[in-house]
Amino acid sequence: MVQGNKVKILSAKQISIQNPLSEEWMESPLEYSGSYVPAIDPEFRQFISAGDARRMGKLLKRALATSLSALKDGGIENPDAIITGTGFGSVENTELFLDAMVREGEQMLKPTQFMQSTHNTASSLIGIHTHSHGYNSTYTQKGMSFDCALYDAWLQFSLGKIKTALVGSHDEMTPVFAGFMRKADHVKAGEICSEAAVSVLMGTGQETPAYCTMDGMVILNRPDEDELARAVLSLTDGNAPSAIMTGVSGNAENDSWYSFLGRLLPEIPLLRYKHLFGVNFSSSALGFYTVACCLKKRLIPACLTKDGNTINPSGGILLVNIVEDRHYSLSLLKPILCGGL
Amino acid sequence: MEEMILKLKQEIIEVLNLEDVKPEDIDNDAPLFGEGLGLDSIDALELIVLMEKNYGIKLQDPAKGKEIFKSIKVMADYIQKNRTR
Amino acid sequence: MAQGRSVLITGCGIICAIGNSKDEVLSSLMSNRTGIGPLKYLRTTHTEFPVGEVKMSDNDMEQAMGIEIGTPVTRTALMGMIAMHEALGEAGLGREDLKKCSFVNGTTVGGMDKSEQFYTDFIDNDTRNEYIKTHDCGSCSEMIADRFGRFRYITTISTACSSAANAVELGADMIRSGEADIVVAGGSECITKFHLNGFNSLMILDRGQCRPFDAERAGLNLGEGAAYLVLESAESAARRGVKPVALLSGYGNACDAFHQTASSPDGEGAYLAMSKALADAGLKPEDIDYINAHGTGTPNNDVSESQAMKRLFGNAMPPVSSTKSLTGHTTSASGSVEAVICILALRHGFVPVNYAWANPMDDGIVPNMELNPQRKLHHILCNSFGFGGNDSSVILTATD
Repeated sequence: MVQGNKVKILSAKQISIQNPLSEEWMESPLEYSGSYVPAIDPEFRQFISAGDARRMGKLLKRALATSLSALKDGGIENPDAIITGTGFGSVENTELFLDAMVREGEQMLKPTQFMQSTHNTASSLIGIHTHSHGYNSTYTQKGMSFDCALYDAWLQFSLGKIKTALVGSHDEMTPVFAGFMRKADHVKAGEICSEAAVSVLMGTGQETPAYCTMDGMVILNRPDEDELARAVLSLTDGNAPSAIMTGVSGNAENDSWYSFLGRLLPEIPLLRYKHLFGVNFSSSALGFYTVACCLKKRLIPACLTKDGNTINPSGGILLVNIVEDRHYSLSLLKPILCGGL
Repeated sequence: MEEMILKLKQEIIEVLNLEDVKPEDIDNDAPLFGEGLGLDSIDALELIVLMEKNYGIKLQDPAKGKEIFKSIKVMADYIQKNRTR
Repeated sequence: MAQGRSVLITGCGIICAIGNSKDEVLSSLMSNRTGIGPLKYLRTTHTEFPVGEVKMSDNDMEQAMGIEIGTPVTRTALMGMIAMHEALGEAGLGREDLKKCSFVNGTTVGGMDKSEQFYTDFIDNDTRNEYIKTHDCGSCSEMIADRFGRFRYITTISTACSSAANAVELGADMIRSGEADIVVAGGSECITKFHLNGFNSLMILDRGQCRPFDAERAGLNLGEGAAYLVLESAESAARRGVKPVALLSGYGNACDAFHQTASSPDGEGAYLAMSKALADAGLKPEDIDYINAHGTGTPNNDVSESQAMKRLFGNAMPPVSSTKSLTGHTTSASGSVEAVICILALRHGFVPVNYAWANPMDDGIVPNMELNPQRKLHHILCNSFGFGGNDSSVILTATD
């Protein structure tokens, strides 16, 4: 599928309901109950001046902070592409503008709220802040938004158009929109509605040290079992991965597909992450992030496994995201071979 | 007028979310845009909304904002003369 | 020059203020008939703003598309269905064929037309909840796609006014890379109170007919519409025995990196996007026979875009016009609405006129006011520049 140099994950940063911009969750994850849990924010002043921050809602601050952090860690200033995903966009500003418009009338509305509510504001903000004139795009495909952004980056790499890409996904919540998420069945009973901002820096150059490589990706809408089996085989090429990272969350429809994967790749341990990070439209970015962290550390921690044992991911991890029992995204990530690539 | 100027400064700080700025930090005669407080075109639009909401002054032409928002003093004078609330 | 397979356009469809199909749009373009006028369908207090509405109510469109009464559906999705129907028809793609096809849709307001209508119902009365699911952009794309069959990949791009152009570019990348053989790409966007009021708060709407590139221009007129291109590899078209209506020979996207709502004075992002498109197509500026400008009629865009075009084309400036004074600014759909207009221009040999222009700008381009082309149209450059400085240009090329 991809010609040329392998795509490497150079760095990955998150702000979520676990400690922000840190990998502490791997050893000592925070535990939650409840129906809506907002993210834990870092001290934004270390990334964004007060003057710049004054216009930004939570989503934009988090998108910028995780992006700048990932870029710094990966040693890149101007990525060739900035591609982001968001399911609902800047919900805070959308709600403020919409609420004022509907309840107070169509006069004296605030331009800042409108401007910041447009979905590609985060992607543009990162471009403006880093003075990056390269490719810039934003995907809004609900729980597949990150996967679509990642797929675009994958295509750009395969066409040789870019050498580096900052790929992210960001979703914020308000109590009102958290209610909408439940009413629309995007968050189900027993799941925590949460927030997330994830930024991943990728590249095909010789940058070291990298977290892992991305070896392949397939996204399908309503595949039948045959198509799904072929997709899995095309990625794994007959070599069983060490584990499969799933978005298992207790949703009966999805869980039956995940057990199908269990039949297709028997005896491969199934992992999960949503019990640590909750559910939102950017969850799959957290799935990608957790896999990248495991491969970087060369260890899948107990908190992600079903039986509470750690696993050595030397064979790589197959990451699966299923949304509304119709959209499937599969990616294969592998550890960097010792001695570099 | 002094009271009005103080109130205006507080309103501007609030509407533009100038977290680190206190009314005493804003010089009455210093430029609001470019240098001085360093506001931009979006802030100008927000100030136009503020003038209508709080003082009943409707500004149709955004270009007029440049002259009116020259400084706190100029803005306060304009509001004093034109307010309907 | 670009690597990968060439990208054919084997069908297209359109609905906008100047027509509900290609034939109707062509007729309006040839007779310079604007679709901009007083608000008729959107219920808003801001009736002072002329708009380019699609001349069909939601009910009209539901009937046309055979949607059962009471099915939750949004205006954006309905327009998308109508344009998709025409595009698939021209390309000869039936229900079963869609398993081989991908769909890339550009929209930014999504289902906001219904959400703003039922917002207080959702919150205060806990009713109309079936419209919460139709709010987001991705759901609109699914509604459009699912009406016709099972596409193998569905995605949605929301980059404001460059969404549809970016959708076309992604579709082309999928074909060039061998990831897909057929991609339906473009965009759809209806006018909503939300963004009518949003643009008003930014004070960039004209209370009269908009006048792109005119010295006295005062802003844009909002429009709405949908348009899709069926992008296809040469091998797939040959297998199916279909001929292209045009070629997508090049494209480019760049970030202005200047401001969220204003373009840089020297039009850097626009310049880069157009340059990339030319390089991608292996063409020089003098090879372009017509530019369909973004040309919104705002004081800012028309200066910035003029500068970018002058920097790139210099003395080799081809005829330039904006068709937004006919269609209104169709925001997320503008990239594909205008691409279809360019395809009509290529196939029928005319140059769209910059309707309502009268006074030359001090340092701007002087737009085309003459329908008859001075020379045969081979290559047309089409610009779409979005909020956040997201700039995209595509080049449509005649098949002969």
